[in-house]
Amino acid sequence: MIQFVAARLFGGLGVIAAVATVCFFLLRAAPGGPFDSEARMSPEIQHSLEERYHLRDPLWRQYAAYMAGLAHGDLGQSIKRPQTVNELIAAHFPVSATIGLCALGMAIGLGMTMGVEAARRHNRWPDHGLMALALIGISIPSFVVGPMLVSLVSVRLGWLPPVRIDGPSGYVLPAITLGLIYTGVIARLARAGLLEVLGQDFVRTARAKGLAERVVVWKHALRLGVLPVVTYLGPATAALISGSLVVEKVFQVPGLGFYFVNSIADRDYPVLTGVFVFYVAILVALNLVVDLVHSWLDPRIAQRNR
Amino acid sequence: MRVGWLSAVMAAACGLPDGEFFGRVPEVTEPRRLRYCNSKEPEAIDPALATTTTAMKITHVLFDGLTIYDQHGLPEASLATGWDVSEDLRTYTFHLRDGARWSNGRAITAWDVAYQVIRVVHPLTASPNADNLGTLKNARGYLARRVFVLRRPVGPYPAGELVEQADKGEAVRVDLRASSGPLALRDLGAAAGTAYAWVAAGREVALVMTTGGRASLRSPDARAWAYVFDATGDGVYGWVPAVELDREPRGDVAIAVRRVAANALPGDRTAEAARPVVTARGRDLLVTPDVLGIAVPDARTIVFENAEPTPYFVGLSNNRALRPTPIEAVSRWPRRWTEPGRIVTSGPMTLTAWRERDAIVVDRSATYWNPGDVRLDRITFFAMDDQAAAANFYFTGGCDAVAANNIPSTYLPALLGPGGKSRYADFRTEPYLGIYFAYLNTEKLANRHLRRALAFAVDRAQIPRFTQGNEIPTAQLTPGTPISSLDVADLAACGVAHETRGVALIMTKGALCYVPPPGLDYNLVAAQAELAQARVELGAAFPTRLSYRYNAGTEVHKQIAEYLQAAWARIGLTVDLEAQEWKTFVADTRAGRYELARFGSIGNLPDTESEFLPLFRCGAPDNRSRYCNPAFEQLLEQARPVRDRVARNAILRRAEQVMIEDAPVIPLYVYTQKHLQKPYVRDLASNPVDQPPLWRAWLDPAWRSHR
Repeated sequence: MIQFVAARLFGGLGVIAAVATVCFFLLRAAPGGPFDSEARMSPEIQHSLEERYHLRDPLWRQYAAYMAGLAHGDLGQSIKRPQTVNELIAAHFPVSATIGLCALGMAIGLGMTMGVEAARRHNRWPDHGLMALALIGISIPSFVVGPMLVSLVSVRLGWLPPVRIDGPSGYVLPAITLGLIYTGVIARLARAGLLEVLGQDFVRTARAKGLAERVVVWKHALRLGVLPVVTYLGPATAALISGSLVVEKVFQVPGLGFYFVNSIADRDYPVLTGVFVFYVAILVALNLVVDLVHSWLDPRIAQRNR
Repeated sequence: MRVGWLSAVMAAACGLPDGEFFGRVPEVTEPRRLRYCNSKEPEAIDPALATTTTAMKITHVLFDGLTIYDQHGLPEASLATGWDVSEDLRTYTFHLRDGARWSNGRAITAWDVAYQVIRVVHPLTASPNADNLGTLKNARGYLARRVFVLRRPVGPYPAGELVEQADKGEAVRVDLRASSGPLALRDLGAAAGTAYAWVAAGREVALVMTTGGRASLRSPDARAWAYVFDATGDGVYGWVPAVELDREPRGDVAIAVRRVAANALPGDRTAEAARPVVTARGRDLLVTPDVLGIAVPDARTIVFENAEPTPYFVGLSNNRALRPTPIEAVSRWPRRWTEPGRIVTSGPMTLTAWRERDAIVVDRSATYWNPGDVRLDRITFFAMDDQAAAANFYFTGGCDAVAANNIPSTYLPALLGPGGKSRYADFRTEPYLGIYFAYLNTEKLANRHLRRALAFAVDRAQIPRFTQGNEIPTAQLTPGTPISSLDVADLAACGVAHETRGVALIMTKGALCYVPPPGLDYNLVAAQAELAQARVELGAAFPTRLSYRYNAGTEVHKQIAEYLQAAWARIGLTVDLEAQEWKTFVADTRAGRYELARFGSIGNLPDTESEFLPLFRCGAPDNRSRYCNPAFEQLLEQARPVRDRVARNAILRRAEQVMIEDAPVIPLYVYTQKHLQKPYVRDLASNPVDQPPLWRAWLDPAWRSHR
């Protein structure tokens, strides 16, 4: 087991280094630079700005310096902001993570319930109804859901603030907007996973020995039926907690998602590479957690991993 | 990325709110607190680094200037009580008031102003605002590390002579100094024990200035002090006694230098002969702010010396680049001194809190020299990255005013009724000192008649119908206020009748005005005639297709591109449209890789000579149309020494006329500012540069009874 974890961690480091490398060179291959703007800027100023951020060094030297910093966990200095990339992540990740975890809680709670209930009433109208709802949740993009929620709940009814997080009530609409798609996906995955398991022999045995249907479903069947959901939760959690530009824009939330998009437009090389490396690190870590949970839920998988 | 459809959905879901005002009008409970929906997170609030109007609104309440922007966007005396202008319009002497203080209690002196100048044009600061001081003597050479003072005689030049690097090669660092012992970086005159940073023995630091120069601080004791920069980590500046520093740089580089061409005209052979190129050693050269055109004769006086006559220099004196910054804070944390707890301010307000991408809170300063002018105790600047979010926040009563133009364009049809009349009492539009235009690359479209045909073919009057922000259609390059809306005093200053078409630029309220030439306005007959002429001249080289570029992501650029395409199709020209990502677009247009492209220009001060006409000077870095006409150049040079500003404007007008007739640019409209302000907000005037004195505003709790 330890060997398995160590191998996965080592592989993860390789993935991070590869992502950093690709990001680094792709971005610099893009036309324009961080200091191109419509405002006039004399070549002298451009020169001194580029000097300050070591952009005039040979590319290989910039790359070596970046990777050396990365090895120490230093993601570099932002070109457009006074902060370092580490500080930017430290300041904005908690906001994204809080919203993401709220959304995740909603997605798991609501999604699992919907999935299980649908599976139990397979091919009856609650199944069709719930799955239609799930499909709606998946299909409506957050840039539609968000503004509609704002328009209805905040502007029309005045129940919740339309923008900014100023107290707990500010998290409600962003979390719902963010979590809706994941709720739908989880509901569908849970239903499919459970349906497959409910047809298996051990479930029939459990029912045959007279266990209550509640115990059969929630204790015995779900343990295996939830596997597809768990697999999905790895990347889903990584995506949820690392921020969403749309939600941050609609609700004016200072999260991390902003930097995934805006640093491309700004050509803020260290920030973009930094947030992607951070995201990949989360993804690698969560996928490892998913594998470990799998082993725990289904001992046959643990056997294979040994 | 812009999320235009967001607001479209929003508007659709919302419908048109009824009522006299746009959204809720909450009761005023705190009349001395303004909640301001600013746009975006400011890129910096340091006056040396802030560049956008968003950031400057915050910078300008925190940092006082020699002059500040009044309600017309014109300079109003503040730190300076008055100024003298030399006969040749080169030298400007500002007299500072007594009693102005930093928020830490220290007096603000002329040295603080000089320090800001040195800081902005020093290459280590890498200030994007250094261009604003580009007229100062040797400022550009200093920024490029190419101007030096000779430390000892070299060839024909005596010690103390100002020389510049003569070749075009890379600049050589001669400002690096080491020390045999550790250096204790501290405030000027402080004991070594109070050092806030240390530099290890032998580590090289950059020498920025020494005491005793024309503009650097005076030594508080008999000793000479040196101000150095240690680049380790975030970097730190500090003072050390000069004796602790090596007198000369290490190594022995050779640099070809010659006397700076102070006032010599280009091509002046006798002047060239008087400054032979000699080889100097690195140790012979000193990089020092003494080469700059600034001098501080005493603590209350600062003198600016420009290389050329600069009639608009007083107009520059409210610029951020000239707003002093506190050396004690900047030195300790060069990149991070503007954080709460570290920042030292000089303006009406001081920084209390900065929550990144959420809000910046500023409170009344206890040390501001003119407390009676400050009506507010607190301003909260919300960083609203999304325009729909800003408008919604205003709508629900979350903020009292929205920064100009931070309103989604999809809301405009709802806010403005027919004829551009506002539907709500709290919404208004005003002219902005900015012009939207299309550049023509004169290298690719070298035929003048073809360019003129393109200009004549566009009916600008139709554009506001789809841009829907009360934009002011014009064929004039220099933006301004519609002549039809000027008052009697301004009409007299402009020397035009009320019925005159077009816009005029007010340069001094009721006293000085610039009326730009009319330009090549819509005229299909003229367009066809020019086109026929172009066909004759170009023959087989007449282009079958042209391409027009715009930056993707903003709906209005696309609409205008399509409108222009249709207009040019009407005279038989096929124009392809190309949308580009912003940075690529900027880089391509700068490099001349385009035929036609949209662009805009926003002025810092109401003066076309410094803000708009330079866009078309031969070889200027942002001359995107690559236009170069000796007649235009000659007129601008002719205007330079003219002291009488009315006569000067007349020459500038002729210059603009020459340029616009060549059609390197097709002006389309003057930008407008769109303002949402709750009805209880008082004295929050807007000005054409969108830099209102926010601290003079206040909130009227009894506004309903005062109507």
